[in-house]
Amino acid sequence: MSESKANHTFAFYLGCIAPNRYPGCESAAIKTCKKLGIDLVPLKGASCCPAPGAFGAIDLNVWYAMAARNLVLAEQMKMDIALLCNGCYKSIWEVNHKLKHNKDLRDGVNEVLKEIDMEYKGTCNVYHIAELLYNEKYVGVNKVRDSVVTPMTGARIAVHYGCHLTKPHKDREFEKSIMLNTEHPSWMEELVAAIGATPVEYRNKMQCCGAGGGVRGYDIVHSLDITNEKMINIMEAKADALTNICPFCQLQFDRGQIEIKEKFGISYDLPVLHFCELLGLAQGMSPQELGLDLHAISCEPFLQKVL
Amino acid sequence: MARTKGYPEALEKKLKDQRFYREDSTPDFVNRIEKISRTMAHMCFQCGTCTGSCPSAPRSSYRIRKFMRRAVLGLENEALTDPDLWLCTTCYSCTDRCPRDIAPTDVIMAMRNIAFTHDIVPVNFLKTVQAIYKTGHGVPNNDVNRAAREKLGLTRDPPTTHMYPEYMPGIRKILDHYHMKENADRIVKEREG
Amino acid sequence: MMVEKKKTTTKKTETKKQEAKKVAPVKQEVKKQAAAPAPAAQNAVAAPGATTQKDARIGVFICHCGTNIAGSMDIQAVQDYAKTIPHVAYVDNYKYMCSMPGQTLIQKAVKENNLTGVVVAACTPRLHEPTFRTATKDAGLNPFRFEMANIRDQNSWVHMHDREGSTEKAKDAVRIAVAKAALLQDLFPKSVPVEPAAMVVGAGVAGMQASLDLAAAGIKTYLIESDMSIGGRMSQLDKTFPTLDCSQCILTPKMVDVGRSEKIELMTWSEVENVEGYIGNFEVTIKKKARGVMTPKEAAAKGIVGGGCNGCGDCDAVCPVIKPNVFEVGMKPRKAIYINHPQVVPLIYTIDFNACVKCGLCVTACGPEKRAIDLNMQDEFIKVKVGTVILATGYDIFPIENKQEWGYKRYENVITSLEFERLICASGPTGGHLVRPSDGQTPMRVAFVLCAGSRDNTGIGKPYCSRFCCMYSLKHAHQIVEKIPGCVPYIFYMDIRSFGKMYEEFYYRIQNEGAKFIRGRVANILEDPKTKNLHVYADDTLLDRPVDMEVDLVVLAAAIEPKADTNRTRKLFGVSCSQDGWLLEAHPKLNPCGTTTAGVFLAGVCQGPKDIPDTVAQAEGAASAASIPIHMGEVELEPYFAQCIEEKCAGCGMCVNLCPYSALSLVEKNGRTVMQVTEAKCKGCGTCGGFCPGGAIWMQHFATPQIVAQIDAFLLGGEE
Repeated sequence: MSESKANHTFAFYLGCIAPNRYPGCESAAIKTCKKLGIDLVPLKGASCCPAPGAFGAIDLNVWYAMAARNLVLAEQMKMDIALLCNGCYKSIWEVNHKLKHNKDLRDGVNEVLKEIDMEYKGTCNVYHIAELLYNEKYVGVNKVRDSVVTPMTGARIAVHYGCHLTKPHKDREFEKSIMLNTEHPSWMEELVAAIGATPVEYRNKMQCCGAGGGVRGYDIVHSLDITNEKMINIMEAKADALTNICPFCQLQFDRGQIEIKEKFGISYDLPVLHFCELLGLAQGMSPQELGLDLHAISCEPFLQKVL
Repeated sequence: MARTKGYPEALEKKLKDQRFYREDSTPDFVNRIEKISRTMAHMCFQCGTCTGSCPSAPRSSYRIRKFMRRAVLGLENEALTDPDLWLCTTCYSCTDRCPRDIAPTDVIMAMRNIAFTHDIVPVNFLKTVQAIYKTGHGVPNNDVNRAAREKLGLTRDPPTTHMYPEYMPGIRKILDHYHMKENADRIVKEREG
Repeated sequence: MMVEKKKTTTKKTETKKQEAKKVAPVKQEVKKQAAAPAPAAQNAVAAPGATTQKDARIGVFICHCGTNIAGSMDIQAVQDYAKTIPHVAYVDNYKYMCSMPGQTLIQKAVKENNLTGVVVAACTPRLHEPTFRTATKDAGLNPFRFEMANIRDQNSWVHMHDREGSTEKAKDAVRIAVAKAALLQDLFPKSVPVEPAAMVVGAGVAGMQASLDLAAAGIKTYLIESDMSIGGRMSQLDKTFPTLDCSQCILTPKMVDVGRSEKIELMTWSEVENVEGYIGNFEVTIKKKARGVMTPKEAAAKGIVGGGCNGCGDCDAVCPVIKPNVFEVGMKPRKAIYINHPQVVPLIYTIDFNACVKCGLCVTACGPEKRAIDLNMQDEFIKVKVGTVILATGYDIFPIENKQEWGYKRYENVITSLEFERLICASGPTGGHLVRPSDGQTPMRVAFVLCAGSRDNTGIGKPYCSRFCCMYSLKHAHQIVEKIPGCVPYIFYMDIRSFGKMYEEFYYRIQNEGAKFIRGRVANILEDPKTKNLHVYADDTLLDRPVDMEVDLVVLAAAIEPKADTNRTRKLFGVSCSQDGWLLEAHPKLNPCGTTTAGVFLAGVCQGPKDIPDTVAQAEGAASAASIPIHMGEVELEPYFAQCIEEKCAGCGMCVNLCPYSALSLVEKNGRTVMQVTEAKCKGCGTCGGFCPGGAIWMQHFATPQIVAQIDAFLLGGEE
């Protein structure tokens, strides 16, 4: 399969966990998108989004200002932002949305940004890569299917949507309104099916991973207990792997399984892959190329099944 | 939260009047919450959909409905000193389902904001602040990861503030504007000595 | 067209009447045979339409009622059994006998099998007797050849878990019904003319609306009100939820219309004294209580030209006697000669003769021209004839001091909602300023106690929901927030029942305006003796903490209860009460305006708690129902009346005194004294028939041989 001509270019906002804990996600996103006609250009000097749970909890004004700084960097590049993390989406998209629609808030933020010679103008848009992949205006399910060289035939894959991309749906706007279904969505399953795998339904699939809101840092056992409930439900559905679209969720499920083993004495050994990693495999990239060997839970059993 | 099992404290607690009096309430608590959260907390009619949706509720004493009630009644002290305040994972399921179109998650966030002004905040939140002040990232890079990145053909440091530390003064300026570092350092020092 | 139609109907009735009379002696024959049944046949055949046991051919139709009946018994077993019962010529069953296919099935079976009677084993006569009578009639039989066996309400529903038992009981019920059906006679309903006038008792919003509707339909209407003016409870209210329009503003146009309508004869300060008769022909005696003041009309009738009360109030000014004004819930004084409030209709003063000292100052003040006051006026009794009656007698406020924990009448600053209405009303005792009764200060913290005496099974309060307290308390909260800046209403509630149109939206609005809701029933209230402030104790069930709320004023949303004289009303009009004491409707869902007495209808709260929209809706429904017989011009009566078998009547007259409906009298016939029945008055109760020592009274459709046959069928299990 030849690489398509790049039709779209986005400033690639990395966040923290993808580049610093799961660099495979970062490289997978860049490579898979390239094959689908999307150029991801580094957003130089970006910082933490900042983490909506941690920063939003302490002082929302700092959260607005810090996120606005990242947005201004993209505005200066005259580019829209693409990102691959639900938490980052919450900060970057939502602050962008709030600032665009609220003059008081915007003025307050610009007063602070002035101190560092920046001004938020509201000229850029923010997209999650999963959204770009699903929306045929950019890629679409068919193009994703066409890009597959190693179909994941026979693999049973559970989907974790995460929270902050689509919830609260009343505050979200998507070009594909189907993404506003937060009770029982299926657009991710469509993407999973497009790469030849079998998406599996499991009980309470929209439940939170348990990491957000600073709870992972505040009370790890509480946080893992939520993760554990999800794991039980996923295992009951006999999934071979769990896919997600948020490195923080990935961290909670991947490293969380090790912590669950330590703290609760239960082991699941379920491979956890960001959808970009999964797509990379389907597009014929090697596991090493995608950094799957960096995962806490070995992806080997899953890889043997699909490759 | 560590509890002293000492008799005097337990007795004091036992003898405490648990009744709710009008004087217990700070009437403008709900107004401050609404200003920060931009949601009409006072319209809560206590249906409990929020607690029913909450992933934290079944495994703790955290009841978001109860926090909404405290907001409406102005029970500021009771709400802010309750350690359960920090058990919200911000999954927004309650906000998605609230029949009164309130965002209870944002009410919790507003309460946390107000708590912070009273120095009530778990240390892990402050550590994130300190990390960002230092590196621009809440979860910073490390040597193991640098090697891994290299293997993948990525730059050892990502093209963020890690690779471009010249952006850090700007970030610190923003944080300093809100005295974030100063407060975080002070509180962490108080807690950890 | 109408007249022509009426004529034909009347003619028909006459022939039917003759036929019915002809039938009576024949039945006597049947009765005679009851002891020795066999030979009766020949005699009876002679009479047209009569059937004897011998040639009776009965069809039995068993209804499943979905699974209501079929789920609890063996229908097939009942059907198989029915085939073995004497006289049964045809048996069938169907899922829903009352449906069109079910009725068609009956009609077809009657025709194809030459049936003489129909038994349907199904629900109750109350529900479907009319349905199956019509089916029987459409099949070519006299509709009274139909008998119903109740195998649902009195069987499958009560013996839901006893399949065998209920099946056996159904067999019994069918056998008993067949026994009667074999002896049923053709009967012909009687029509009576309807007096083209109606009476409405009570001139609150329900009675006024019903009267206006009847008047608009061209019907002469007597509107009877025991108070001195019309308007009822609604005229005491300040604003109404959820629209917040002023109660008086929307009520006064109706009051004025009532006063003006030529079709409405308004009688205030009047009460119903006695009622006789039946649908179409009620004779009502009305007591016009001595008012002490003449209307211009009454004065004119006495030859005082240009005289009578013009509402000037000169008498009021000079009257030396001061009494509490009941309309203002005692919070404002009035004189012995008074009006309730300035907007009264009719604007005629009334003397409270219990208070009047007859000093005569008012007579002097009234002057020689008007000469409106007559201190020696006596009660007057007037008889009117009406075709139908609507009861709209309203409600009382539950004496909430009986619930002692809330301290009403013990603590000055605990008031009722009705008192609140008067205090917040611009025309009320304080000119619309809400004040604490103890010191006249404006309250800044007001607690509202919902379900005060409602939803209370202690025997002191009322077990039911009073249905409008939630909404008016929300309205009260709105009013204080609006009128007293900074004043906080605390609403103590168990549930907020905001079920009506725009009610939930109203609740939302009031909460948004700053009302504080505390979910918990108020346990008790204590007064701070120094400040006269009140401590309200409750459980904030949502916070899970006991509450001690110090407030300046407490408003009790007191329950409502049936009028003190409901029992008298009930007896006067022959209607019933439900167990909660309100007047009983004919059917709670399908006939909410009717009563068990034909021609008597209900409107408003006298039937059960309801708010203004529901009250007005029911009043319009009752007016419509009450106008139907009047517009039809005549009503059909069930032909269940007693008949005198003159040869056997000894003319003793004992039955005449026993009859509760005055339907019997003694007449001279062929030189003998015999009893005669006024059929229209007879309700077929059977008192006379049961008593008659000579067995000279024949109860149509419930004749002795028919009932004896039923008893025999049951006791003898179908064996002769």
